[in-house]
Amino acid sequence: MPMGHTTTAEAGSGGLAATEHRLANGLRVVLSEDHLTPVAAVCLWYDVGSRHEVKGRTGLAHLFEHLMFQGSAQVKGNGHFELVQGAGGSLNGTTSFERTNYFETMPAHQLELALWLEADRMGSLLAALDEESMENQRDVVKNERRQRYDNVPYGTAFEKLTALSYPEGHPYHHTPIGSMADLDAATLEDARQFFRTYYAPNNAVLSVVGDIDPEQTLAWIEKYFGSIPSHDGKPAPRDGSLPEVIGEQKREVVVEEVPARALMAAYRLPHDGTRACDAADLALTILGGGESSRLYNRLVRRDRTAVAAGFGLLRLAGAPSMGWLDVKTSGDVEVPVIETAIDEELARFAEEGPTPEEMERAQAQLEREWLDRLGTVAGRADELCRYAVLFGDPQLALTAVQRVLEVTPEEVREVAAARLRPDNRAVLVYEPKSPEAAPDADVPEDPEQEATVEAGRDETENEETAK
Amino acid sequence: MTELATMEFHPQPQPGEAKPWAFPAPERTALDNGLTVLRCHRPGQQVVAVEVLLDAPLDAEPAGLDGVATIMARAFSEGTDQHSAEEFAAELERAGATLDAHADHPGVRLSLEVPVSRLAKGLGLLADALRAPAFAPSEVERLVRNRLDEIPHELANPSRRAAKELSKELFPAASRMSRPRQGTEETVEKIDAAAVRAFYDRHVRPATATLVVVGDLTGTDLDALLGDTLGAWTGTPGEPRPVPPVTADDTGRVVIVDRPGAVQTQLLIGRVGPDRHDRVWPAQVLGTYCLGGTLTSRLDRVLREEKGYTYGVRSFGQVLRSAPDGTGAAMLAISGSVDTPNTGPALDDLWKVLRTVAAEGLTDAERDVAVQNLVGVAPLKYETAAAVASTLADQVEQHLPDDFQATLYRQLAATGTVEATAAVVNAFPVDRLVTVLVGDASQIKAPVEALGIGEVTVVPAE
Repeated sequence: MPMGHTTTAEAGSGGLAATEHRLANGLRVVLSEDHLTPVAAVCLWYDVGSRHEVKGRTGLAHLFEHLMFQGSAQVKGNGHFELVQGAGGSLNGTTSFERTNYFETMPAHQLELALWLEADRMGSLLAALDEESMENQRDVVKNERRQRYDNVPYGTAFEKLTALSYPEGHPYHHTPIGSMADLDAATLEDARQFFRTYYAPNNAVLSVVGDIDPEQTLAWIEKYFGSIPSHDGKPAPRDGSLPEVIGEQKREVVVEEVPARALMAAYRLPHDGTRACDAADLALTILGGGESSRLYNRLVRRDRTAVAAGFGLLRLAGAPSMGWLDVKTSGDVEVPVIETAIDEELARFAEEGPTPEEMERAQAQLEREWLDRLGTVAGRADELCRYAVLFGDPQLALTAVQRVLEVTPEEVREVAAARLRPDNRAVLVYEPKSPEAAPDADVPEDPEQEATVEAGRDETENEETAK
Repeated sequence: MTELATMEFHPQPQPGEAKPWAFPAPERTALDNGLTVLRCHRPGQQVVAVEVLLDAPLDAEPAGLDGVATIMARAFSEGTDQHSAEEFAAELERAGATLDAHADHPGVRLSLEVPVSRLAKGLGLLADALRAPAFAPSEVERLVRNRLDEIPHELANPSRRAAKELSKELFPAASRMSRPRQGTEETVEKIDAAAVRAFYDRHVRPATATLVVVGDLTGTDLDALLGDTLGAWTGTPGEPRPVPPVTADDTGRVVIVDRPGAVQTQLLIGRVGPDRHDRVWPAQVLGTYCLGGTLTSRLDRVLREEKGYTYGVRSFGQVLRSAPDGTGAAMLAISGSVDTPNTGPALDDLWKVLRTVAAEGLTDAERDVAVQNLVGVAPLKYETAAAVASTLADQVEQHLPDDFQATLYRQLAATGTVEATAAVVNAFPVDRLVTVLVGDASQIKAPVEALGIGEVTVVPAE
């Protein structure tokens, strides 16, 4: 059995460990044992996302992801969903700028089924893909777009900010959901070509985490995936590099039927995987990450000019990351009042840096978020794939929290001074169409969630528990 | 048309032997102040989940002050006798903790999540919030203004707008359930710190409250921690409030909430039915799952996977309020969004699906898959401490025994196709459903009227 090197995690990774292997066809495999609960998570990341799409075919990576659930050589119709759910598992697939992922969480004794299913579609999707699925899923995706973006207030804010922040022609200029026109234009042949180009074992990472026997698991993986031929010829994604700062303030004012004025902004930030990106994460947390943050205290508690104010971080590896500021105004407060206050707070922070208490709080928050993410087998499997695909080393997932804890206050101040400036942002202002306006006090949007589109609608909490 | 693959195929593998798993049984105790405590040790769960239930239901809100329970819940994290509002938020974050609170028909719930290494700190803050909330007039005033600012946005959100309209339609005007949980503009603006304090004094006390703690408690002396924190909370003894009966008018009818220009129609089709105390519950869970629990259920098989009208339609049963004597009720509903031009055809198909289930019944195959999913998914569903804590708290809130969930899994496995069919047909009778559509009335009214699913009325969105 072909196997690559095997390593265990370094100290300080919370007792978690992962081993790495590589099949002869190039499929990279990451395994991590955890026998506390009889469940196993399978996660498969393909190194393809909306950044690989070409002009006129935006949304294709995500539409294609839906087609991956429409059957393959040995799996009929909706069989993938039916078999996993019938085995007591849960599953979905999502598409983002930089990757497409597919995942199943199974009762441990059903792990082999999930591996068989993933291998079948990796190797034989085109044996089943037809015009009928294509037309059906095109309509489903267009309804997904309407439901999540077009039919809700501020629904297209993320799309607009992305288009402002990443210039025309840049691979991140458009978001994964794509445009209605391009979704209409996609053909079955486009989908087939997309599969032939990107869906290969040597363009994927498979992780399996949980109550598993690693030797047996590897044997299954070899059995089911080992004969899928590798192929090259994947074009390199278009260059995503950009100057460190935008160099000017971009601005768009939208007059729409929204319940309140809003001020949003996207700041250009360091690439994911760098220490500066971790420092930026801490800076955004201190400035706008919760109800003790500087912007919340200033705008919501003291000035009372905003109902909600917060910062979110969209980490990107192949292009600069994005810091998303989202403020909804209170009553009839005008945007310049908010903007002035924000600029004052950001300038003061760039000057003085964080206090020791602020560093402690931000690091505690980020540490808990990491504990949450690594606290489930599915979360761990996803993170292992992420670090393997984007940075070539899954072990980095297990030490990520340590790296955040090592960042110094001076590094946080430096990144704020360099990046959180008016000449490094794209501003989006919403003005309500109707005069009687009042704001949305929902929590600020989460950029990670906005940048991700999924195959299946979230299952409502309906069945055997309440709420 | 299709192309052959070059891989080597293998037959579908058979499952291994299932490992035993059971929904965890909590240990039940009480503190000297009367606070009921449920605890559950979950190895490996480093983030501890704590839930507190207060016997402060929405029907206890004074007349004209709808929303006071919500403002009180939010005000718990806005300062105590130890910390100002800003300091309290900072202390929580320093502990790596989150604290959420919300008010619903059965009562007020607080949810704390905190890494076990900082559990003492987290419990201390939670205890302060319950024992000695500041309810400072300026903070309450800010929360009230904040809440008023939220209302127009809720009206702009199609699914929330639909939920509001359905409650108004279903329940008698005198019932608290007919009105928005978090109050209206008219009621919220009357709330002040004195009203919040009065509500707290009347309804918040340890003797009628329950605390649930779930997580990896290895090496944690929970009794000592609780004694030092929530043990200091005092209050007069109190009896649980009686639960008013739930009544609803489910005469089949359609209400269109007009949103001119909407590209989709939000559907919410519902009525009121049995809660978990009823013997039919396991069969109702099973039947409702077969109808619309997932992408491969009856509704999505047609509306999504055949017709492409929607990203997904779901049916569900959600307990509204339960009583110890079993007189409570659940909301039984179907929800989703369909594109505007296909609203009529989608509803037509939806009713056809309901009629077909009633006429022909569910199949054994779909019953089997549903049981396998509902029961099989339990170990992954309850992997985190928060999921376990939430279900334990629901059980207490709904006056159910602590082993309800564990028993339910055994009952689901023993429920047959005939029972599941009967339950779902009774849950969703085609002539006893109230349909709320949030969408463009000028586009959808005529096609919906043509379906004959009930009288159609149109109301403005605001």
